[in-house]
Amino acid sequence: MPTPGRPRSGPALLPTLGLAVTIAIVVFGGYAVGGALSRSAGPPVQVAEGVTIRPLSGWEPAGRFEEPVGVRLTRGAGNLDVVAIPFSGTPQALVDGYVREILEPGAERLSVSRRVEAVRTASGLPGARIAYVGLFGRALTPIEGEITAIVAPSGVAVVSDGWGPEGVLRYIRGDVRAMTEAVELG
Amino acid sequence: MDPLPPPPPPARHRWAARGTLFRPREPAFALFAAILLVTGFLAVEQQEVFRELSPSGWALSWVLLALYVLPVVLLVLALDLYEREPVSLMVGAFLWGAVAATTLAAFANEGWGLVVARLGGPEFASRWTAVLTAPLAEEVLKASGIVLLALIAPEEFDDVLDGFVYGALCGLGFAVVEDVFYFVSVFGGTPTGVLAGFWVRVISSGLYGHVLYTGLSGMGIAYFVSRKDEEPLGRRIAVATGLFVAGVAGHVLWNSPLLDAFPAQVRDVWDLLRIPLAAALKGLPLLAFVIVLVRLAHRRERHWLALALRSEAGSEGLTVTELEILLDPVARRRSRRDMRRRAGARAARLLRRLQREQVNLAMARTRAAGPDDPVLVVKRAYCRSLRDALAAIPGAAPAARGPSDVAPG
Repeated sequence: MPTPGRPRSGPALLPTLGLAVTIAIVVFGGYAVGGALSRSAGPPVQVAEGVTIRPLSGWEPAGRFEEPVGVRLTRGAGNLDVVAIPFSGTPQALVDGYVREILEPGAERLSVSRRVEAVRTASGLPGARIAYVGLFGRALTPIEGEITAIVAPSGVAVVSDGWGPEGVLRYIRGDVRAMTEAVELG
Repeated sequence: MDPLPPPPPPARHRWAARGTLFRPREPAFALFAAILLVTGFLAVEQQEVFRELSPSGWALSWVLLALYVLPVVLLVLALDLYEREPVSLMVGAFLWGAVAATTLAAFANEGWGLVVARLGGPEFASRWTAVLTAPLAEEVLKASGIVLLALIAPEEFDDVLDGFVYGALCGLGFAVVEDVFYFVSVFGGTPTGVLAGFWVRVISSGLYGHVLYTGLSGMGIAYFVSRKDEEPLGRRIAVATGLFVAGVAGHVLWNSPLLDAFPAQVRDVWDLLRIPLAAALKGLPLLAFVIVLVRLAHRRERHWLALALRSEAGSEGLTVTELEILLDPVARRRSRRDMRRRAGARAARLLRRLQREQVNLAMARTRAAGPDDPVLVVKRAYCRSLRDALAAIPGAAPAARGPSDVAPG
């Protein structure tokens, strides 16, 4: 039995290293495996002229919007609405406008996060992100969602709205963020 | 009359060098401290978010949970009949559960939840992640802390009950921080919501859950560490794995829709009362299993103590009556209560010290080369000095030395 303070010999170090590896696998392994399973599948989907999004595996186009122009991707109970609009303000102003003009008119109850998260796309464009929860239309369960607004210097902007029934958002959030941050603005 | 100063620690007996968490040159300590430090920052940040969301609900959550922690800690410590574990290790176990395991588990659950979502879809994941990934990830992370403690201070894992103490405290820390999360995020964070959460998660379910799961893992780890000289490696691995799996299985059952009798909504008093009944349905089997294991461990400890002290009874360190009292936890508590009543608190404290030193004498006896081992001689003399000091307190003498109970002078 070593006395307190005496350094352990080599073999005693091994269990500690093994444990560190085990902890790392448990904590980060899911992201690695999830990332490996989450590959782009299929061709890019055009949202509007010059704006495309690449669906990850499992996500499929489920519809189109006219005003504003956009597309809905879906994966089970998870959805991602992406719209493209001409806009030259700040990403936060775009988020506020989307909440006011798209979400609020259809909501019976709506709570929007006070904290606005600044984001940056893979191509370096600035964006803003908020979360919300609310009751919409005739849906019986609350809807949780996450809105990200990205503004390009060319005056084209994209708003992505990933949403699903309560409890589902956390399982699509990674995909929603990955697809949003990889959106191509021409 | 004052007792002798405690005997100097003899280097060759592991009981004598009191274990501690703070062994900076141990690799396991470095890992333990590094993880606790990093996760500590994240955990404080998380609590800040909860406090901002609902200052009153957050504060009420901690007040209520403090009321829950205190009796559970006392209960866990009361189960450890013969040897009090070092405070630094017990605090370390609690902090690991509360800070490190909860923070790491948040990442792990999200990561593996993504895998479930990729494989089964988001709807499936929202229903089944709590069953498929959380029990294993959380139990591994909590048990890792206990393994680190065992690597830092293996001499403090003398028997399975020691592992139960560390595991239960680790699980308690985890449960408390998880409860704050639930009270604020799931139950709404308002004072009414927090009280509802307290009813569901603590009053109704507080006897089950993380304290038991990690208590079982801790027992397995302690079995593996403490039976090195008695059991073959294969058996030690099998028992440790079996107890860990039992904890995970209990966790899976708790999170699963099986045996789920919880009301979907609470509309009246009957629904409120159904919650503890539903919790008991899921939690009682594991609680009963743990009680059986703890009783078996107690029996083993008592047997070991009797064996160790048989040859000491009648020596200056231990009278025959003292041995009888020492072997019976109820009688031990009663003797201290009687002492307090007859001779006051100081005498009761001194009697407690005498009994603790006599347990230490037992540990020394099992490791001594022979009956005249210098360590034993010193220990006996110390016990005697405590007894003499006790006898000098007015009113204390009769309990300290019975009529048929003469220790050689």
